[in-house]
Amino acid sequence: MEDIEIKQENDSIIETKPKIEQEEDHVDIDKISSLKALGPFIAARENSKNTVYLSDVPAICKDQPCMLGVDEAGRGPVLGPMVYGISYCPLNSKEALVELGCADSKQLTEEKRDIIFNDMNTLEYANSCIGWAVEIISPNVISNSMYRRSKCSLNEVSMDSAMGLIQRAIDAGVNIAEVYVDTVGPPEKYQEKLLKRFPNFKITVAKKADSTYPIVSAASICAKVTRDHALKVWQFPEGLVIKDNAFGSGYPGDPVTKRFLTENIDLVFGFPRLVRFSWSTAENALADKAYEMEFDEPDTEKPKYAGTKLTKFFKGTTKTGEVKREECRFFKQCHLDNVTDF
Amino acid sequence: MSITLDFDSKQLDNKRPLQLHYLPVKIDGNGECANVDKFFNNYTRESTDYGPGMLTNSLRGYPLVGKRESVPKGFKGVVLQETDPHQEQRQLRLTGTFEKFTYWNYDKVPSKGDAYQQALILLDVADALASPVSEEQLEEELKRYQQAKKENT
Repeated sequence: MEDIEIKQENDSIIETKPKIEQEEDHVDIDKISSLKALGPFIAARENSKNTVYLSDVPAICKDQPCMLGVDEAGRGPVLGPMVYGISYCPLNSKEALVELGCADSKQLTEEKRDIIFNDMNTLEYANSCIGWAVEIISPNVISNSMYRRSKCSLNEVSMDSAMGLIQRAIDAGVNIAEVYVDTVGPPEKYQEKLLKRFPNFKITVAKKADSTYPIVSAASICAKVTRDHALKVWQFPEGLVIKDNAFGSGYPGDPVTKRFLTENIDLVFGFPRLVRFSWSTAENALADKAYEMEFDEPDTEKPKYAGTKLTKFFKGTTKTGEVKREECRFFKQCHLDNVTDF
Repeated sequence: MSITLDFDSKQLDNKRPLQLHYLPVKIDGNGECANVDKFFNNYTRESTDYGPGMLTNSLRGYPLVGKRESVPKGFKGVVLQETDPHQEQRQLRLTGTFEKFTYWNYDKVPSKGDAYQQALILLDVADALASPVSEEQLEEELKRYQQAKKENT
């Protein structure tokens, strides 16, 4: 049942393909010039690392003051990458965004988003004034960040990615004047942090900015389309083959995702690295079904030294008079111990 | 109760070398681990960020930093297996040998401060304690001792 649904989705994408230039036979895996090129570009990259892509910067964006939108896709799911997207265009090119249909991206179907993404890259009126960039944050990197000895929260990962993308746009020569950011968390703190890093821009951080500002919708579409394609072309270095890559939405409530998680557990390694190990859904599933693992805990213990205790001298023997011997310090420091059992 | 190591030196030389990982984790499980190549080795990357020869990977989402290590000079690594540890006469068989292995730390660059490296100091100490002392060395030490005594008085 679910498999069939996914198939239909794939068909709808194939249908949109004829609209894309067909002369292009060889696929350039280093440039995303249309929707068709997105999948091959992602598939050619290592999916255990982050990938950044910047579109060509339209000449007009280097001269005229621009607005820039930031949004993310795939923050909540237990599967797959989180994608950060930015898009930018001159302040007076708003019509182009509206013409493309960049309004409230949450209302758009997957098919509509694909079409907008393709138009944005192929139609002259759009690609002459709108530029974009995405960062695909690998689930492997997300797990690693959250499980570091000094934990790095998803919020920090997100902000770093957003600021990194803005910086790249600056470095590429985009003349940024205004920045609009969609956020799920409290906007004030985020805004403050962004202003500190980019004091010269007019920065607006808002909840649901995606439906208020077309430039954020455009960024949101880039991010969402990229995440959807990243999942579609996901190849498992673990050697898993899942028909049509049907692992569901990635949300813990989705029965397809649930089934994927229960059916693909390795006793030692847990899940393939498509899965974010640091999500409680993943942790709980492994606690039940895989070998228990205990890592060296972060060195949080502070050395407690308050001088020699007076009572130390009475501790040499037990009540029955048996002499207790303390281990030689050398062995202790070297983590060595007597072993009689083999 | 006795333990028999059921192999000879010929086997030690002929066994094909094993690929081993020293992991910073206690795994509460026993049995064959078939997927090391696909789930782990596939993801090992060289990472110059941490210095020459350093490797990165991760296990269950935990970041690891690793390094290729050799077994101390004069030693050989062996992996032994036994079928039934509850027997009166225990028998251990040779699974394989190794000269090198990959040492991994949890989010920490491998260094001399690691417990494993610290434990290896014993090899030097044991060596110093067990090596024979020659007549000359003994006399030299005596002289030094008397010299020190003179200086102190």
